[in-house]
Amino acid sequence: MGVIAFVAKRFGLYLAVLFIGLTITFMLPRLMPINPVDGYIGQIQSRANGTLTPEAIEEMRANLEVLYGLKGDIFTQYLSYLKRVVIDFDFGPSFTYYPAEVSTMITTALPWTLGLLLTATIIAWLLGNMVGLVAGYFHKKRAASILEFVGILLYPIPYYIMAVTVLLLLAYIFPIFPLSPTFPVGEITWPKVGMIIYNSLLPAITLVLAGFGWNILSMKALAVATTEEPYVVYARLKGASNWTRMTRYVFRNALLPQVTALALSLGMIFNGALLTEIIFSYPGIGLIMRTAATGGDYNVLYGAITLSILAVATAGLVIDLIYPLLDPRIRHK
Amino acid sequence: MVRLRRTLVASVIGAMLTTTAIAQTMTDVGTPRDETLIVQTFDGRAANASAQNPMNAYAIWRGFRELGWSWLWEMDTATGQSYPELAAGPVEVLNDEHTQFRVTLREGVYWSDGVEFTADDVIYSLDTYTKYRSQLGRVAVIANFVTSWKKIDDFTFEVETSRPSYDFQTVMGVYTWGSQFVIVPKHIFEPQGDDVVTFQNTNAVTLGPYKIKEFDPNGSWQLWELREDWERSGWGNLGEPKPKYVLYKDFGAEETRTLAFVQNQYDVDTFMSPDSIQAAKGRNPNIESFSPTFPYHDMNDACSYGVYMNLQRAPFDKPEVRWALALSLNMQQVGISSMSGQFKAGALPLADTPITNPLYYAPLQSWLEELTLADGYKPYNTNFGAELTEALASQGVDASELPTGDDIERGFGMGWWKHDPAEAAKLLESVGMKKGADGFFALEDGSPWVLEFVIPGDWNKVIQRIGFSIADSWRQAGFNINTRQVDNGEWTTVQNTNARNELMINWSQSCTYNSNWQNSWRQFDARYVLPPDSTDPLNGNFMRVTDERIFELVADSAKLPTDDPQFLENGRSIAQHLTEDMQVINLMNIPTTIPTNKTYWTNFPKQDNFYAAPYTWWSSFKKTVVNIEPTGQQ
Repeated sequence: MGVIAFVAKRFGLYLAVLFIGLTITFMLPRLMPINPVDGYIGQIQSRANGTLTPEAIEEMRANLEVLYGLKGDIFTQYLSYLKRVVIDFDFGPSFTYYPAEVSTMITTALPWTLGLLLTATIIAWLLGNMVGLVAGYFHKKRAASILEFVGILLYPIPYYIMAVTVLLLLAYIFPIFPLSPTFPVGEITWPKVGMIIYNSLLPAITLVLAGFGWNILSMKALAVATTEEPYVVYARLKGASNWTRMTRYVFRNALLPQVTALALSLGMIFNGALLTEIIFSYPGIGLIMRTAATGGDYNVLYGAITLSILAVATAGLVIDLIYPLLDPRIRHK
Repeated sequence: MVRLRRTLVASVIGAMLTTTAIAQTMTDVGTPRDETLIVQTFDGRAANASAQNPMNAYAIWRGFRELGWSWLWEMDTATGQSYPELAAGPVEVLNDEHTQFRVTLREGVYWSDGVEFTADDVIYSLDTYTKYRSQLGRVAVIANFVTSWKKIDDFTFEVETSRPSYDFQTVMGVYTWGSQFVIVPKHIFEPQGDDVVTFQNTNAVTLGPYKIKEFDPNGSWQLWELREDWERSGWGNLGEPKPKYVLYKDFGAEETRTLAFVQNQYDVDTFMSPDSIQAAKGRNPNIESFSPTFPYHDMNDACSYGVYMNLQRAPFDKPEVRWALALSLNMQQVGISSMSGQFKAGALPLADTPITNPLYYAPLQSWLEELTLADGYKPYNTNFGAELTEALASQGVDASELPTGDDIERGFGMGWWKHDPAEAAKLLESVGMKKGADGFFALEDGSPWVLEFVIPGDWNKVIQRIGFSIADSWRQAGFNINTRQVDNGEWTTVQNTNARNELMINWSQSCTYNSNWQNSWRQFDARYVLPPDSTDPLNGNFMRVTDERIFELVADSAKLPTDDPQFLENGRSIAQHLTEDMQVINLMNIPTTIPTNKTYWTNFPKQDNFYAAPYTWWSSFKKTVVNIEPTGQQ
């Protein structure tokens, strides 16, 4: 298969995934037992202490259906959605926070989510794989068992427990970090950047600890298996050093599934980290998505899910395209 | 080497702790802590904090309602009486039909940008509310209420309403916690032209004595600063607000909030669970609940929790079935298991507060005592509070924390229904419903009767817990209950849709705050009744009342002033009809915990110092900021 055919096939698959994903995204919120108009009215009603008259509710209901674009048959709404999303990349206004634009809400929140999750995911991946590699390569040594024990210990701890424990330890018993950080606003200055990093450290540490264990265990298992491969044995007999065998023979081969896992987890970070946001009062897209799901805010869900689909599908495409560079066997085929 | 390392570590930690200690004298937003009142936000974190146009949905929370906007008339939450704020006095009624009114505004009131507030702002607001009523999300009530208006002079305007209105002041002003009519500054909004419908109004110009100093675009916090010219603000005549700054901040999940509260990081919380308050009080003596004795918390919300049944659907269309459900409900057990006994029961379909008690509860107490069902059974238990006190004492609650004498009624309510499953079974049998082989009550034809009980999910944990306890109580009595938790969007759909509604916890129609019961009960009208299996949305009457006697009382009362004795008498009659046929099972007042921390500020509203409702998200909070005092703690 030529390079062009290889790329074209992968790209075609990518477009098909996007189309199916967007179609499912359109349908899913409409299958929820929530009517966004009711969601909005309920929200207003609960704030009105009985002062919302039936006449007003009736009028709001009629107006909101028009404003939300919920008039007309579902196929027309679907075509309009595809046109808006695919051609204009416009998700319209949020229902819950009408008339705020979904794109504005997402672009305000997303940098925070990406900044935290991207850094934490990569650090957890790097650290986990390094520790896992050493634990796997030297799996017969006592020290390796201790490293594996760290992974076994961390991996099953539910994130919530981990987060609250870290918070208690480092923000309450030893108040090194703020319990509930206040992120600075306005023009960005170096001291403010420092404050943002300081305020983000605690959630980042928790996310690294939570992601760390799985990477240790999976890399360790891969490294153990790879260490037994004939080519590693051959390298040892040839006189290659431990360092050379571990990095050039074991690590490179054990790395491939880990790269796939990293790419997919990078795609998933667009979903945000709801628990992190709630426990650490950290800004981000997770809470926006949750509010949208509970209030039937279709447009916000479309915006956030579409972004996530794009990220995961693109990560898959990139992996597909760079795999031949990492793995000569695929390049050969 | 080890010693050196220990010294270094100790120095670093010491330096960090010292830094923290010094930083605690200033807030995270750079204001002196002793000049800043810090309050947990009611709505958590907002997704679009920059949207501050009050004619759309946002700009209610985090200080807008209580510190930012200003109303024509405000509500004194200690007495239930309306008083003028931007208006110079009570509304002047111009015709016998009560549809034409004249309002005179106070002179010398200025917006936060220094422009004078006049009738032009009111007229522009009314023009905009109606002209763009189909595009603005929060104007429907007022757009429906007014039909015409005109400026008389700079400080006088007249309004004509679409219906006879004896409650003009509480519709155009505040009934409980804020007004539907937010007046906007003409000089800011008018230049927007038609774009006013999408105008964000970021850094809003406001009328209250505080102005926005800074806010987090990610919605975690908002800082208000006292205006230098606070005396000429919308409610500057109320007195000098004590804090120079008020910071609304979301301190996160309840676990984090509790820890931050113990560390004196903020002064007033919203709905903290009784368990967390207990834990916080144990670690910080400055943390106080609303009352030092049971039920500890504020019970003066305008609404009350109740079980709403779809009265139009069998078998809930039978009073015997509804009474059976009420008498099977072990309220003492429900209150203890879900609220640790920290609740105030009420048998009438409204909250029992210091305002409503002398109007409804006390006058109807003897009627409740004599109330008799068709079989001669008297269901009311006046001894409910005393029995609850005994039960709590037997569970180890210290006697000093339990109310005694008249305080029992004030704390736990004047009574509730007896817990009598045997009488419930008798009532059900009287309409042909008996227990089947599975131990559960069956329908008249012997087929299984599975009741779907809808309760809120995690978005309202207090009522979620109460809901599960009620279901447990009913199940023990032989009702096959299927409890379904739903998100708030679905909850509203279930409330609004006959075909999907059977049995749910609700509070939306029991918000009678004072002698004017119309806000909640005006909806008892044949216009708001749909067929039992209708999938069309209801716009009112969520209790599904079809009682003609009640419809007539509502219609007759529309022609009466709300302070007319007959009007109040009609309200009591509605309450009696709803109760005698058990058209709603009223449960309890809405418990609002509102713990405070007196490290930096003191004299918050409390049970024994009730100068205003203690809620930081009601507009009555303005009385709190005027009455609190700094402790001098730096």
